[in-house]
Amino acid sequence: MTHGPQNHGAIVGVLTILVVAFLVGRGLLSVLRSAKARRRAASAHDLGRRRWGPAPAAPSAPDGAIVSAKSLTKQYGDFVAVDQLTFSLEPRTITGFLGPNGAGKTTTLRLMLGLAEPTAGEALVLGSRYADLEQPIRQVGAVLESNDFHPGRSGRDHLRVLALAADLPPSRIDQVLDLVDLGPAATRPVKTYSLGMRQRLGLAAALLGDPGLLVLDEPANGLDPVGVHWLRTFLRGFADGGGTVLVSSHVLAEVAQTVDRVLIIDRGRLVADAPLDELAGRDQTLGDAYLELTAGSPS
Amino acid sequence: MRPQLRAELLKLRTTRTTLGLLAAMIGLVLTAIVLHGYGLTTEDLDSASKQLTLLVGWGVVLGALFAGLLGAMSFTGEIRYGTIRPTLLVTPRRGLVIAAKSAASMLGGLAFGLAATAVAAVAASVALTARGIDVRLDAGDYALLIFGGSVASALWAVIGVGVGALVRNQMPAVIGILAWVLFIEGQLIDNAPNLGRLAPGPLGRAISGMSPDILLAPGVAALLLVHYAVAAAAGGRLATTRRDFV
Repeated sequence: MTHGPQNHGAIVGVLTILVVAFLVGRGLLSVLRSAKARRRAASAHDLGRRRWGPAPAAPSAPDGAIVSAKSLTKQYGDFVAVDQLTFSLEPRTITGFLGPNGAGKTTTLRLMLGLAEPTAGEALVLGSRYADLEQPIRQVGAVLESNDFHPGRSGRDHLRVLALAADLPPSRIDQVLDLVDLGPAATRPVKTYSLGMRQRLGLAAALLGDPGLLVLDEPANGLDPVGVHWLRTFLRGFADGGGTVLVSSHVLAEVAQTVDRVLIIDRGRLVADAPLDELAGRDQTLGDAYLELTAGSPS
Repeated sequence: MRPQLRAELLKLRTTRTTLGLLAAMIGLVLTAIVLHGYGLTTEDLDSASKQLTLLVGWGVVLGALFAGLLGAMSFTGEIRYGTIRPTLLVTPRRGLVIAAKSAASMLGGLAFGLAATAVAAVAASVALTARGIDVRLDAGDYALLIFGGSVASALWAVIGVGVGALVRNQMPAVIGILAWVLFIEGQLIDNAPNLGRLAPGPLGRAISGMSPDILLAPGVAALLLVHYAVAAAAGGRLATTRRDFV
């Protein structure tokens, strides 16, 4: 017993030296790495001057595609959620990402945005993996769920947290609140918001970094007709200002009037990739084409 | 890491979770000290060591416990409410998120430990004086109590972040931490003291100078607890970089 602390002391001492050596090594590495990153980032930022200007980083993508997926595959055990998806998004277009419930739309978006790791293949945003983007939210704004907020935190505080983490100026918060018409409600806790207000807050967060690409998962879910109309007008304005939009949906009516291009996915596989007017052409509506392409889907 | 750290500190300040935990902790410290201050016999409280271990020490135990909960909930709360998605969209480097959460929780834990031990020190002397028992603790005891309790709580908060990142689900994480502190560690100390004194709770108490006959010396305990905290943060980092967020 009397020797106990001393013996432990020796072991703990050795462990300490190892840990300190490890941390010092890591620290040096990360200092070197961040110095390099600073030099790279020093080239360009002009934030907040344009409302939604041209996609800023588009030219840096090697093949001109804003997003490109190559044989993107995600498997959960035996279930193939996303099956060798290959597609690309062109600048200044609104692309509708359609498919029945469970077709793999959400999984694809999460693979694209670095929240999930593909089993095979890759998805590149502006030519690199999302996780490798320097300050990604200055290039990509995404809304994946309509309710990713702490219910007790105010809308403004939600945006303040994200702006701090992204190192964006606080003035940007009022700008995006204005963009989505959510000014006066912003100081109330999110739990008092209607679904439409939550959708707008999510959109405000996506716009914080003034990105050139918007990725929205089922943004019209639960919106009333006025809300859907507002969203449509908003997305059109964003694309006309030079932005690119990928919007997933299982509601055809809301998409048919908004999108330029359509990607249809069924049971993880891409079944259509075409301009809207090609799919919904002479004798058939988009609805007919969609039903034909996704025939036999369990949902 | 500075932007992420500032964001994490703002997260702690913009919901009622932190204040709620702080209030619950202070309430429990006061309850424990009032109950023990009146329930224990005069002989149980007649030396500095007994007063520290049986009475004031509740501040250290509860400070560390609530700091651990604060750290764990800083991660599990984000899973529960889905805010982890926006968080990772802004900062896709998940190791950075864990580091920022650890640092922010460490500061929060430090404040919790400071509050818990200070409240415990005051409440214990009031309780002892009210019963007409001499307070045997001197300035050195108090200093070690408050300093040690704060250090222990800060490290416990980091351990909490690691546990939260590994477990992810809020209820199991919170219940697991409560069960560990309030039940398992006590069993370990009673039945296998050589093992039990290496557990993080007893290490926290050791840092504050409690039960020197059973527990480790304060400096050794602090070093070992630092290792636990580093290991927990590393485990949490591994668990967040390897797994998907859906």
